[in-house]
Amino acid sequence: MEATHVAHLLRRTEYVVRPERLAALSQPSVTRENAVDDILAVTVPVALPAFLDHDIDGQGYDQWVYAVQWWIDRMVDAPRPMLEKMTWFWHGHFCSSWDKVNSAKAMLAQNKLFRDSAFGNFRTLTQTMAVQPAMLFYLDNVDNVKRSPNQNFARELMELFTLGVGNYTEDDVTAAARAWTGHGIDWDTLEYRFWPSQHDIGTKTFMGVTRNWNGPDIINYLLQENTTKKLVACRFLTKKLWEFFAHQQPAQTIIDELAQVLFDSDLAILPWVKAMLMRDEFYSVAAQQGMVRSPVDFVVAVQYHTGLRAADLDPQWYVENMGQVPFDPPNVAGWKTNGYWVNTSLFGARADFARGVTWHLRHDDANSIGDGHTPAETVDIAAAMFGLNLSDATRTALVHFVDVQRANEPWVGWWEATNLLTMTMMTPEFHVA
Amino acid sequence: MIDPDISTEAARALLTVPIDPTDRLTLDRRRFLQMLGYGVGAGAMLGGLGEVLSPGALPGGLRDAWAGSPVAPTDGILVLIGQFGGSDGLNTVVPYTNGDYYAQHGALAIPPSHVLPLSGQVGLHPNLPFLKSLYDSGDVAVVQGVGYPNPDLSHFSSMANWMYGKATGSPNTGWIGRWLDGMGGTDLFKAASVGQGLPLHLVGDVARGIAIPQWGDRFAGGSDEHDRWMYDALRGFSATPAGRGPWHDTIATTMKNVIDVGQQIGPVFARDLPDGELTRQLTVVARLINADLGLRVIDTGFGGFDTHADQPAGLGGLLTDFDQALKSFFQTLDDRFRSRVTIMTYSEFGRTSWSNDSSGTDHGTVNNHFVIGKGVRGGLYGAQPSLAGLSRWDRMAHHVDFRSMYASVLDGWMGGGSSTVLGANYPNLGLFETSPGLDVATGGVPPTALGDFVGVTPYRLYDSRVAGGRTIELGPGAIAEVQVTGQGGVPASGITAVAVNVTAVDATQDTSFTVWGTGETRPDVANVVIPPNRAVPNLVIVKVGKGGRINVMNDLGAANCVVDVIGYFRTTTANRLQAVTPSRVLDTRDGSGGRRGPLGPGGSYDVMVRGRAGVPVNANSVVVNVTAVQPTSSSYLTVWPSREARPYASSLNFLQGVTIPNLVIAKIGANGRIAVFNKFGYVHVVMDVVGYFSPTSPGRYVPVAGTRVLDTRSDSKVAPASMVSISVLGIGGVPTSGVSAVALNVGAYQPTSDTFLTAWPNGLTRPLASNLNPARGQDVSNLVIVKVGAQGVVNLYNHTGSVHLAVDLVGYFTG
Repeated sequence: MEATHVAHLLRRTEYVVRPERLAALSQPSVTRENAVDDILAVTVPVALPAFLDHDIDGQGYDQWVYAVQWWIDRMVDAPRPMLEKMTWFWHGHFCSSWDKVNSAKAMLAQNKLFRDSAFGNFRTLTQTMAVQPAMLFYLDNVDNVKRSPNQNFARELMELFTLGVGNYTEDDVTAAARAWTGHGIDWDTLEYRFWPSQHDIGTKTFMGVTRNWNGPDIINYLLQENTTKKLVACRFLTKKLWEFFAHQQPAQTIIDELAQVLFDSDLAILPWVKAMLMRDEFYSVAAQQGMVRSPVDFVVAVQYHTGLRAADLDPQWYVENMGQVPFDPPNVAGWKTNGYWVNTSLFGARADFARGVTWHLRHDDANSIGDGHTPAETVDIAAAMFGLNLSDATRTALVHFVDVQRANEPWVGWWEATNLLTMTMMTPEFHVA
Repeated sequence: MIDPDISTEAARALLTVPIDPTDRLTLDRRRFLQMLGYGVGAGAMLGGLGEVLSPGALPGGLRDAWAGSPVAPTDGILVLIGQFGGSDGLNTVVPYTNGDYYAQHGALAIPPSHVLPLSGQVGLHPNLPFLKSLYDSGDVAVVQGVGYPNPDLSHFSSMANWMYGKATGSPNTGWIGRWLDGMGGTDLFKAASVGQGLPLHLVGDVARGIAIPQWGDRFAGGSDEHDRWMYDALRGFSATPAGRGPWHDTIATTMKNVIDVGQQIGPVFARDLPDGELTRQLTVVARLINADLGLRVIDTGFGGFDTHADQPAGLGGLLTDFDQALKSFFQTLDDRFRSRVTIMTYSEFGRTSWSNDSSGTDHGTVNNHFVIGKGVRGGLYGAQPSLAGLSRWDRMAHHVDFRSMYASVLDGWMGGGSSTVLGANYPNLGLFETSPGLDVATGGVPPTALGDFVGVTPYRLYDSRVAGGRTIELGPGAIAEVQVTGQGGVPASGITAVAVNVTAVDATQDTSFTVWGTGETRPDVANVVIPPNRAVPNLVIVKVGKGGRINVMNDLGAANCVVDVIGYFRTTTANRLQAVTPSRVLDTRDGSGGRRGPLGPGGSYDVMVRGRAGVPVNANSVVVNVTAVQPTSSSYLTVWPSREARPYASSLNFLQGVTIPNLVIAKIGANGRIAVFNKFGYVHVVMDVVGYFSPTSPGRYVPVAGTRVLDTRSDSKVAPASMVSISVLGIGGVPTSGVSAVALNVGAYQPTSDTFLTAWPNGLTRPLASNLNPARGQDVSNLVIVKVGAQGVVNLYNHTGSVHLAVDLVGYFTG
């Protein structure tokens, strides 16, 4: 497989191009399928850190900080980072937020589900997700009772989790909300509990079918019984997957064909993701130039290329100003991609972070990268440090910077290195990846 | 009732939009991200009041290189204050003699003795003493009973409605954004939101505001020389397109903007800011205005108005902040801007007239809002909503559509154009007693005005025959991206549109060129219709797009392309168009204009235009239709200011034996003349003046999306010696009044004979002049600027043979 394609594949599935991974997967004997299988060879289950698997009174904030740092570090050094990419995909799809749920235990249980089932079966994942405390709290199904139905979860289940808007009616929402009544919480253990007395056992007409619907029946109906809806859901998910990994606005044929893979495998996720990574369009120019690193992806890439850890950099302080906080999606629709992250305010925050990173490099060898090198060589060293192949436009600007710096301060010092490295992290090449 | 399932912060966040260079914006309900920090934290102590940030005090010293044009002395500035969550209008502007109010609001009602009375019926919440003093000075319009038909009480869709500002269609742009579209140009500093995200109302089809970090930019505000070297390099990333796709270039440009914005706003955040969320923000806003960055609209706001419970403390605190904020704002605002600033409040909805069981109120429909400023005609507008007979879940009926409030501000303060921006005509409430800038009494201009024209000596911006040192002709569908700003006397910023002469050379087959601003949607309308193997010029007035560039696309086959700039439009210089009835100033065939006999090879002649054909002495440029008649050789004409060095540029290209006209805008030389030069062979030259630019002319050029106003091609051709009349007012974005002239792109197709076409104002005698000279069987097009005649009609005359005509309305001049 061509090295540029391998590099692209690795950036999208493993955040960054690790030289050893690139070397291994660009061997002439390695086919695209071999490479994709290798990337998808994830190991689950993954145990949670002990500090995060239960709630600790008065330490909720510390647990949040720990969770963010733990997860970002995992993205940097998991043996197969694609597992974390896909975990994030589900985090942004079946959103819950720490702010509202307010429980490390619930949020991390959900996180564990997304990771351990990242490549499992979508229907099973949906069923399990629906009755975990994180979701029950986040979309208020804990308040969904017979006498006073709350439609929040029932609506988003169809609008955002499976079908997309326009594929159901308000009557369907009403019926589904009634079906989900009584699926709540045991307020002593804060675990899921079905309360028969709060469940509406009357007949409901959902999607034109009248029966005594219960909550999980709704999911089974949408993702199994009604094959038309099931295919709608497959397409809905496929577009989201493609736009998360490849580029915006995929051609309808891509969506249709990949959706069919998901449909035919009865919603098995692994073959579906594999089929995506096997497609030629995934390696097109549109795909290679089509994604802006999200703030978290940016942090992960910085950490990898500098060798710094989350505990060094405290990314949890910075990602908020960049617009993306792990465990706190902005709303139930999750995060979007690309242009979402590009404005003066948010990129100013990235630059602020990049400059902060260089302070941590202060006593490192990185300070003297220019010693004994011409400006052009110095720029190339900085670019190589971040795995970048700079465009002429960027390289020219950076070389000019070193020229100016040395014309004013002929000694090669800290200013040159720190500002050059800051800028290297702010090159468009580092953000379109 | 419909109880919304999301909070107001989420609603506002959902209406925060991404920037996607590959995608026109389409908003679906869930599309957008929460990137806001409203309601988080509080600022440092101490009010830094009354400071003035003069442009000279800004770091970097390169203000003109990146800032917007300063706000003109007669331009209005609008400050928007969002009250997120749906504020309780009844407890803000209290109907203190209304028994129903006291019955329904119950314990929440403000006792009459606490109210700050504005009239015998209504008064302000007691926490608004400063606002009361402004009202007493006649600077506050209280717009009562504001709402709109069929509200659904959801934070999200209500906020979307308010930000969108149109009654129909889906909210994919915002009202301020569409106003910005009309302003044109690429200035970074036209509209800003103080916060992390860019709210929908600041997003247009093309233009958008900027997001100013609400705590200032921590990265780009430095002034150390090391910082400066770094900033220069970061700005350099976008110096040339990298060839790595649109996202790369967008990020490069964004980095440049980060630096530019950070440098500009650094001083704004350099001093301490007062406490109180809105107080802090409005102080920042006043400092931004004082810095005179060119900002016309600044958006800000504060949340917490969704007072379902414990309303007295919640609302009371917010209104105290609001009052303090206004005080701090006006104390901070420099005197230079006092008569140019108007503040308007908005909120997604009002609240119920009945209080609930939790000392709160629920989502309602109707609200009261404030329009505040020196130019405002203070008083009460609209009417308090009736509360009579309302039961627990009933909602009040509105008296004033919020879009009427917008229209009043747009037309009364921001230069007009509300019907275009809002998609319909809404009653103007008459909220203003003066126009912006107290000492100037000019009428408003439409917001879509591109501004005034500055002629330059023609300059060749682009020539595909020598691009990059070799010929790269444009293939089918190929696009040439032409840098306009910073070239040939065109400034690097503050440019809204340019007048360029686009010439097609050596086309291999019938084709056309389409010219439009880079980064904008390509219009359907071709600007230059091109037969094979001929040099065809056409004047094009085009909005400048991203990076100060324009695109030229060739449709079919291959053709070379030459682009010469002859002038540009901006807001800060004083040259406006006066269209005149066409009048001939030169005809070398009969000696009109002082010369008889064709121009020979290398020959030139100076044509007096000042004081002739209605051109006054203070005119800077003339608009002339130049026709090359019966040339003996293929050649070109150059028209330029007399006594200046002849530029390397062509105004008109022609083939041997083919008579062809082109509209030319020429700067007038110091001696009152324009010069015309011929390169090869002999050619007669005819010049008709159709307009001029001068500081005292009324007309600003306003481009509109090309609208086809005539197309005979599905019908019969225009007969010999006959004319067609075209109504040009009230269509395609052209107003029904206040239009002096229109710009038409006229295409002539399949002429059966050599002919000429003349455009002139209806109701006047047809002048001896020509706008197009199609030869038999040859399709041609030309830009025509023509005064609007009686009944809003212009006429087009065809001399001989029959011909199909297609006419696109591409712009108009005010006046």
